[in-house]
Amino acid sequence: MTLFYDKYSSALYGVILRIVKKEEIAEDVLQESLVKIWHSFQSYDASKGRLFTWVLNVSRNLAIDKIRSRQYRVGSRTQPIEESAALRQAATPTFRPEHIGLQEMTTKLAPEQKQIIDLLYFGGFTQSEVAEELNLPLGTVKTRARAAIKVLAKLIR
Amino acid sequence: MNTQEYIESGILEEYALGVLDEAQRADVERLAAQYPEIRQELDLIQHGLDSYAQAHTQEPPAGMRERVLAGWQAAIHQGATTSATELPIAPVAETVVRPISSAPQEEIAPSGFNWMMAASVALLVLSAAANLILYNRWKESETQLVALQADQTRVASTMQAVEKRLSTRTQELAVLRSEQFKAVELAGTPAAPQAKARVLYNTATKAVYVDVRNLPTLPQGKQYQLWAMDKGKPVDAGMLAAATTAGDSLQLMKNVANAEAFAMTVEPEGGSENPTMETMTVIGRF
Repeated sequence: MTLFYDKYSSALYGVILRIVKKEEIAEDVLQESLVKIWHSFQSYDASKGRLFTWVLNVSRNLAIDKIRSRQYRVGSRTQPIEESAALRQAATPTFRPEHIGLQEMTTKLAPEQKQIIDLLYFGGFTQSEVAEELNLPLGTVKTRARAAIKVLAKLIR
Repeated sequence: MNTQEYIESGILEEYALGVLDEAQRADVERLAAQYPEIRQELDLIQHGLDSYAQAHTQEPPAGMRERVLAGWQAAIHQGATTSATELPIAPVAETVVRPISSAPQEEIAPSGFNWMMAASVALLVLSAAANLILYNRWKESETQLVALQADQTRVASTMQAVEKRLSTRTQELAVLRSEQFKAVELAGTPAAPQAKARVLYNTATKAVYVDVRNLPTLPQGKQYQLWAMDKGKPVDAGMLAAATTAGDSLQLMKNVANAEAFAMTVEPEGGSENPTMETMTVIGRF
């Protein structure tokens, strides 16, 4: 687990912090994630996807559960994501080949695409909630989300 | 089935984002298992999102590694002892992102924070109780200490007095046993036939001690005075203290250079220059 921590903690912590926005809560969630990963490891099915995807989703779901369980959203919803503490700290440079810089990614994404991805992926919003939040038709939200992910997928193609 | 159309539909993107319901998700997984091109596309999409997530990589703060790993260890050990039979947690793929309306407003399961809060309060209460008990004990001890200190002071002063008396007695005994001292018995004169006293005279150091055996009680304002007779002349050898007169102890008198006899007279308090011969009570010579 120590090896696991050293390999994944930075990425998981970054995502969790992005979602919960508070460092001490991010630490709690990271720990809960490790416990959950440990206990449910046998349910990981390699044929369904990469380990990293699975691990990431465990942590992301826990983090989203966390912000939904608290009265959290009231305050953070109005806070623009770009101003959250997570973004003010520069991402640590790493040398993983699969790691594409945030800067590069965001320049490839249109602002409205990025906004939707962030709400869906880091905000724990459903698509209809995003539509409500942004005052857009649900169809538009879906189209933009798909387009955004296609862009991301293309980046690593 | 037209897999290209399915891929174009965008459902794979929604799957990767985790916004599909359970039935839809199962459907996607089934098709992905069935058609390699769907699998491939899905992997690509997930990989893309992973990269996006990874782009947010952030080095955890210092010290967190130890805390998190320790917490993890504690949690899995606790889990192993209390609920070894606990069912494995449902596969992550089935974890549903609940809509807000169904999300609990208040946390039902106590989080780590709440546990810590409860533990802190419990510790605070325990600490307060312990403080109260210790404060009371401390007060008690302080009272006892004061009492013991008073006691100790009393014992010490008693001890000092005893010590002093002992040293006096030892000195007296030394005088009595010393061969350097010559004893002169002073017998009562016709004025006081019962009177009896003794003078111890050290011819080397010229020290004079008086040891009273029996002397008549004196009227108010009078005191016995010891005289040494040197070549027929009386020399003042000092006044007898009340305790000495009562026969309580030896008394060191003034040094006398030379003497062939000693005598005591009754004089006004403080003594006289010359003896009042009529009041001579005892006399004795070597």
